[in-house]
Amino acid sequence: MSEPNTPEVPQGEVPVGPYVYDLAASPQRQIVLPKTAPVPSLATYKAEVIAQAAADEAKWQKQLADFEIAKAKAEAEGKDAPKAPVRAVPRKDDNDLKTPWPVEATDPDLLKLQALLGDRVEEVFQQAGELVCQVKKEAILDALRLCRDEVDLRYEMLADASATHYPVGKDFAFSVVYHLTSISRRKRLRLRILIPEGFVPASACEVYPSANWMEREIYDMLGIRFANHPDMTRILCPEDWEGYPLRKEYPTVGWGQRDIDFREDRGGVLNRIAMTTAGQLGINLKQPKAD
Amino acid sequence: MGVAQPSTLEQVLITTKVEKVINWARASSVWPMTFGLACCAIEMMAAGASKFDFDRFGAGIFRATPRQSDLMIVAGTVTYKMAPVIKKLYDQMPEPKWVIAMGSCATAGGPFDSYHTIQGVDKIVPVDVYIPGCPPRPESLIYGFMKLQDKIMTSSLADRYKDIFEEVG
Repeated sequence: MSEPNTPEVPQGEVPVGPYVYDLAASPQRQIVLPKTAPVPSLATYKAEVIAQAAADEAKWQKQLADFEIAKAKAEAEGKDAPKAPVRAVPRKDDNDLKTPWPVEATDPDLLKLQALLGDRVEEVFQQAGELVCQVKKEAILDALRLCRDEVDLRYEMLADASATHYPVGKDFAFSVVYHLTSISRRKRLRLRILIPEGFVPASACEVYPSANWMEREIYDMLGIRFANHPDMTRILCPEDWEGYPLRKEYPTVGWGQRDIDFREDRGGVLNRIAMTTAGQLGINLKQPKAD
Repeated sequence: MGVAQPSTLEQVLITTKVEKVINWARASSVWPMTFGLACCAIEMMAAGASKFDFDRFGAGIFRATPRQSDLMIVAGTVTYKMAPVIKKLYDQMPEPKWVIAMGSCATAGGPFDSYHTIQGVDKIVPVDVYIPGCPPRPESLIYGFMKLQDKIMTSSLADRYKDIFEEVG
């Protein structure tokens, strides 16, 4: 491991440059930012269920109240009483192919991890049989090391590390997810941290050397810098790239669509020759339009 | 019969223009550069393999260096990171040189109307023949190559000289 190099964190960095695409000129290419931050989470799911139940109950109570009023009105006018409301029971369908909801953790790995890390674990749950453990953002290195070294866990391989941008997250902007695989035990585990904009999480290279390129990719695509990373540079985009393409505010058509023109067109001569030759050959060429 | 017999001299000599001979030599032996960028390269390999046999047209020798090649078949998606490399390789090719943009990506960006893809390789290098398709079949590539051969055969040394030396800037 080389010298720790903690990079400078850019403050409120907005990529601007000579290549900004004119979004107003083509409104169909405007970016629509998401209004929610749908991080899969047991707590969020529970809150959603409770809110839904409360909404259903309120709706039912309103139906009852309306019925009482209608009944009293009908009695006063001497008409027949209206039909009593029937509470709608949600249909249950076991074959419903919806997104599997998160459930309480029952896997021994998650329980072990929770016992070892204590209050540094924010949340553990299972979803569709997959194990998810969300730890505090400062504790990710300890959690990774524990997962690798603990005798009962033995997650030898870091299969993938990725991140997602949630522009309207409450106290976070990104989730960084480490996908661990245990080859000897044939199990997979997901470790997750939620970090705000500008936070520099510890690099996992110390524990899993394969995290090197993955974290470089995260940095390249989302702009999350990792502390103590041996080489925190861009890996996919060119070195002089502006902005981070996988952020939600990055237009899919836009900053990257540079006006790239290396070619010396020799005053348009080549183009004209091409058109003439094409005419001689009977090929109908149209002059390519610049975007 | 009434047809005049050719003289002895005409029987042993063929007269033509130097330009035509040179064009014929160039069109019959175009050496492409190995330049696969995406799935179009697979079709290009198929075109070079035994079933389609690009070598029938004198273009079967795919060179691994731009300095020995006359033709650059840009087969695949051109990203912004690749663009300077393509330009550099094109500049390293000796004159005369030609470029085929193979497939819709190299022609106009294809489905990748996105931040990372150049919308057509003609933004970097001059293209002689565009081959549509995603990816084009080897027959398409061969047809496009035959069109290029036609172009080479009709090209004029004088025009080329004018292009390069007289109308610069």
